[in-house]
Amino acid sequence: MTGLFGSFIIDLFREDFMLRALLSGLMLGVLAPIIGSIVVVRRLSFIADTLGHFSLVGISVSLFLSVTLPRTLAVIFSENPQYLGIVFSVIGGLLIELFRRYYKSYKEISMPIVISLGTALSAIFLSISGKTGALYNYMFGSILTVSWYYVILIAITLGIVGLLFALFGRQIIAVSFDENNAKFMGVNRGLFQLIFIVMLSIVVSVLLESAGVLLISSMMIIPVAAAMKVGWSYRSTTGIAIVFSELSVFFGLWASYSLHLPSGAAIVAINILILVMVALIRKWVMKHNLKKHPSEPQEVE
Amino acid sequence: MQIDINNLSFAYGHKLVLNNLSLTVRPGDFLVVEGKNGTGKTTMIKCLLGINAVPNGMIFLDHEDINAFRDWTKIGCVSQSVDDFNYEFPITVNEILTMSKLRKIKQNRKLKLLDQMGILEILNENINALSGGQRQRVFIVKSMLNHPKILILDEPTANIDKKNVEYFYQTVNELNSEGTTVILITHDEFLDAYNWSHILQLNTDLSYSYRTRKQFAEEAGRK
Repeated sequence: MTGLFGSFIIDLFREDFMLRALLSGLMLGVLAPIIGSIVVVRRLSFIADTLGHFSLVGISVSLFLSVTLPRTLAVIFSENPQYLGIVFSVIGGLLIELFRRYYKSYKEISMPIVISLGTALSAIFLSISGKTGALYNYMFGSILTVSWYYVILIAITLGIVGLLFALFGRQIIAVSFDENNAKFMGVNRGLFQLIFIVMLSIVVSVLLESAGVLLISSMMIIPVAAAMKVGWSYRSTTGIAIVFSELSVFFGLWASYSLHLPSGAAIVAINILILVMVALIRKWVMKHNLKKHPSEPQEVE
Repeated sequence: MQIDINNLSFAYGHKLVLNNLSLTVRPGDFLVVEGKNGTGKTTMIKCLLGINAVPNGMIFLDHEDINAFRDWTKIGCVSQSVDDFNYEFPITVNEILTMSKLRKIKQNRKLKLLDQMGILEILNENINALSGGQRQRVFIVKSMLNHPKILILDEPTANIDKKNVEYFYQTVNELNSEGTTVILITHDEFLDAYNWSHILQLNTDLSYSYRTRKQFAEEAGRK
């Protein structure tokens, strides 16, 4: 075990970049499944992808402004493209909510519309700014190259999301499980959908830098998908998803470090591995139980 | 709670389902709504719950126009299909019931209602693992938790077996005797189990009759 992980653990504390990667990874490991659970319940699994694409518009507009604006102003956008990323992600989230209310019976239509608009605008702004090379980083992300500034940004996001959940978690969950009857519980549906979508948009744009457009949704959805199969309550499912997510961050970083794989891809691969293992173990346990208690009485209604 | 319905008409597209329906449900009334499939029972309930949008002036809840009404927690409702609820994600009965605990609900009221419905033992079970009837009873308990002034129930016993439905009759009758207004859609075979005070019969030709229990009994006697 020490041979396998020894140098990885030592380097975690010796190399600044490794520590930053681990810290941001562990915080993302909590953040993504908390939001991901609600996303899954609301059947919006594609929303993270959609918002990622729209957040990319903000990044490309930043890159565009950084080459067109006078130098003093341009610096703001070239150094912190995340700001506009967050703004555009929120705009994308509001657009999805708008289209969801417009196409009541075909709510998923909202996503391809917003995703296409996001991709098209990103391509246009990236192409005029001549910085298409930056695209790879934002597509796949890189948790190994994040700055301390980014670690602080995630910590603040985690704090805000934690606070919002402590205050309004019950309302958000009520609206997510039963949109139509929320008002009889005294929950303002529109308001809490809005709070959630803004929160989600911010989290997605923060994840963009480390997970990349293409892998954001996997960090949010896959741990929850695995946890759903073993959880017995909402709370336990979210808790298990966080554990799966943290495991995948830790082992993903290790695999990335030892085998020189892209970090985002390694984390997602571990996530999928956990999902498959959970499915197989569950199948085995159920088969085993069935043999043990072949005729368990079932309540007939 | 008082409900005033004034010349309520409702159509899905060009198909008229309710035509000039007018009646008043007074506080403490127990109104039974009866009629064949397609006579607009559920449509009427959806109008009362603000799910089907109606023009101003047709429905008043406690003298306030439904389009201006905001105090929805006064209403407890159970729909015919509780399929609106998302079942695939694990969530326990207790979590579902505390979800509605946005106002302070006494723990023992929750337990008492669960007990009356005969589902106390499933408090910590995952809703996925329950039968249709058990789920239905969970949502009945949920609708009663907030001490609603009115209970609106759309064929609530549809999935519940005979053994457990008795508890339901008792609980609804008891809540009504304590002053809760009740509107209930049901089939006539179950009518005698409830202490209803008024009956609304909807017909396929869009006509309707609204009578007290006494009038209804007299008419039945004459026949």
